[in-house]
Amino acid sequence: MDIIDKVISKLRPKARQGMAGIWLDEHKFVEAAGKVRQSGYTKFDAISPFPLHGIDDAMGIPFSYIPWVTLTFGLTGFSFGTWFTWWASSQDWAINIGGKPMWSLPAFIPIMFECTILLAALSSVGALLWICNLPMIDPPVIDPDLTSHKFGLFVPEDDTGYDAAKLEQLFRQLGAVEVKKAEF
Amino acid sequence: MADTQRSTLGPLPFTPKAKTISFALMFIGAVGFAISLMTNAERAWHAYLVAYFYFFLLGIGGLFFAAIQHVSKAGWSVNVRRFCESFTAFLPVAALGAIGVALAGHHLYEWMDKAEVAKDPLLAHKAGYLNTPFFIIRLVVFFGGWLLFTKKMVGGSIMQDKNGDPAITVKTLPWAIGFLLFFAISFSLFSVDLLMSLMPHWFSTIFGIYTFAGLFQSTMATMILLILYCMRRGLLNGYVDENHMHDLGKFMFAFTVFWAYIAYSQYMLIWYANLPEETMFYLPRVTGPWTWVSVALLLFKFVVPFLALLSRRAKRNLNFLATIAILILIMQYVDLYWLVYPNLSSEKVIFGLPEITTWCGFAGVFMFTVGRFLSKYSIVPLKDPRIHESLHHHVVY
Repeated sequence: MDIIDKVISKLRPKARQGMAGIWLDEHKFVEAAGKVRQSGYTKFDAISPFPLHGIDDAMGIPFSYIPWVTLTFGLTGFSFGTWFTWWASSQDWAINIGGKPMWSLPAFIPIMFECTILLAALSSVGALLWICNLPMIDPPVIDPDLTSHKFGLFVPEDDTGYDAAKLEQLFRQLGAVEVKKAEF
Repeated sequence: MADTQRSTLGPLPFTPKAKTISFALMFIGAVGFAISLMTNAERAWHAYLVAYFYFFLLGIGGLFFAAIQHVSKAGWSVNVRRFCESFTAFLPVAALGAIGVALAGHHLYEWMDKAEVAKDPLLAHKAGYLNTPFFIIRLVVFFGGWLLFTKKMVGGSIMQDKNGDPAITVKTLPWAIGFLLFFAISFSLFSVDLLMSLMPHWFSTIFGIYTFAGLFQSTMATMILLILYCMRRGLLNGYVDENHMHDLGKFMFAFTVFWAYIAYSQYMLIWYANLPEETMFYLPRVTGPWTWVSVALLLFKFVVPFLALLSRRAKRNLNFLATIAILILIMQYVDLYWLVYPNLSSEKVIFGLPEITTWCGFAGVFMFTVGRFLSKYSIVPLKDPRIHESLHHHVVY
C-alpha cells in the first residue's frame, strides 16, 4: 500500500493558485486568450472542451517539438534494427537459409521498418504524455462544465505581473461570464 | 484566410500561347511516332504504351481522387476538386488511345500472335483470358464504365455550378461508391492486360496495386503543379492557400511511402521464394545496365521525396513542393518505362527520340483536353454545399 500511495502522490499534480475566467462563446474566448497574452502573461492556460482553431497562435504557443522526438527515435530504431539483424543473423547465430547471404537486406527490411515505427510511435506518445504531465490523478477542477460547453482561462499566481484585481477587471472586459479565484 | 482580396472566379482562360504549345507537342508526337513506326515498329509501340499509360493514369487518377472526396464527404478539398475533375477530360481520348494498343497487337503482346500461342503450352493454357477478342471486350467494358462514371460524377459537379442544387452532392455519393468498387476491379485488370501481359509467363497478384500507387502519386504531383500555376497567376486568391497545398502534399508524401511499400512487398516475396516463373521479371532488371534504372527508382521515387517531404515546413513551402512534384512526375515516367522496356531489350537500356517525342505527343493531348475543360468551367465548384469548410481550411499540424 505504501508504494501505491507514493505513486498516487507523485501522479497528483501540485495545484497552483490563481485567477480563472469562464467564457461561453468560443470566438470571444480565443480573442480573450490573445489579449491576455498581449497583457504580458506567459504561464496562463486555456481549457476548452474541444480543439479551437487559432488558439495556439493567440496564446503564443510555439510549435511542438514532438516531431523531432519522432525523427530521433525513428532513426534510432532504424539503426538498431539494422545492427541487430546483422549481429543476430550473421555474427552471433549464423544460419544458412535457402542459400541466401547471411545478412540479406531484403529479408531484414521488415524488421528495420518495424523497429523504426515502434520506437517512433512509442516515443511520440511518451513525449506527448511527458509534455502534458500525464497521467494525472485527481486534477483540480475549475468548473466541471469546462468539459462540455464552457471555456476557461487560468492565470497562475507566479506569472509575471500577476494582480488579482487587475485580472478580474481584464477578464470581465473581455467578456468573461464568471471570474473567480481557483486552483489548477 | 483574408476575405478582402478574393479573386473573381471564372474559367481558366486557355491562352493562344498554351494552345500553340499543346498543338506543337501533338505535332512533335505525331511526327516522332510516325517516323519511329516506320524505322522500328516494335520500339515505337513500346514508347506509345508507356506514354499512353502515363497520361491514362492521370486521367483516371483525377476521377479516383474526386470519388474519394465524395465518398469521404470531404470539405477541405472542394476548392481544389475541379482540377482533378479536369484530368478526366483526357479519358475519352484515352479510350481512343486504347485502340492503338489493340492495333499494336503482337508488336507488344506475344500472346496476340497465334503462332506463338500454338508453340507455347503455357500461353495456350492462358488463352482463355489472354486472347484478342476478350481483350477488346474488356477494354470496351472498362472504358464504357469509366466514361459513364465520369459523366455522372464530373457532369453532376458542373451541373451544380449552374443550378446550385445541393441535392446533386447527395446524388453523386452512390455513383462515387460504385465507381470505387468498379475501379478496384477494372483498373487492376487493365494494368494486368496492358502491362503485366507484356510478359505473359509472369504473374504478380500485387501488380494492380503497384500501378495504383504510381497513379495516386503522379496525380497528386500534377494537381499540385496545375494549382500552383493558377495560384501564381492570382486566380485562386482567397480560395486556395498553403493549407490546401499542405494537405495535397501530405497525400503525395503518403503515396510515395505507399509506392515503396508495395514495390518492396512485390520484390521481397519474389526474392524470398526464388521461383523461376516469378524471378523472371526481376532478373533482367537487377542484372546488367537495368540495375542502375532500378536503383534510380528506389532513390528518386522514394528515398529523396520521402526525406524531402518529411517535415511540415517542406510541404508548406510551395516552391519546394513544386520541385518535388516535378521529380515525382519524372520518376513516374521512369517507373512505367522500367516496367515496359526490359521486355523489349533486356541487355541494353534504350532511350531516345522515339520515347521523348511520343511522350510529348500525349502531353500535348493531355494539355489540350485539360486546358479546354478548365476554359469552359469555373476552376472552383462555387456552389458546392461544403465550400465553406474549404474556404476556412486551416491545418494545425
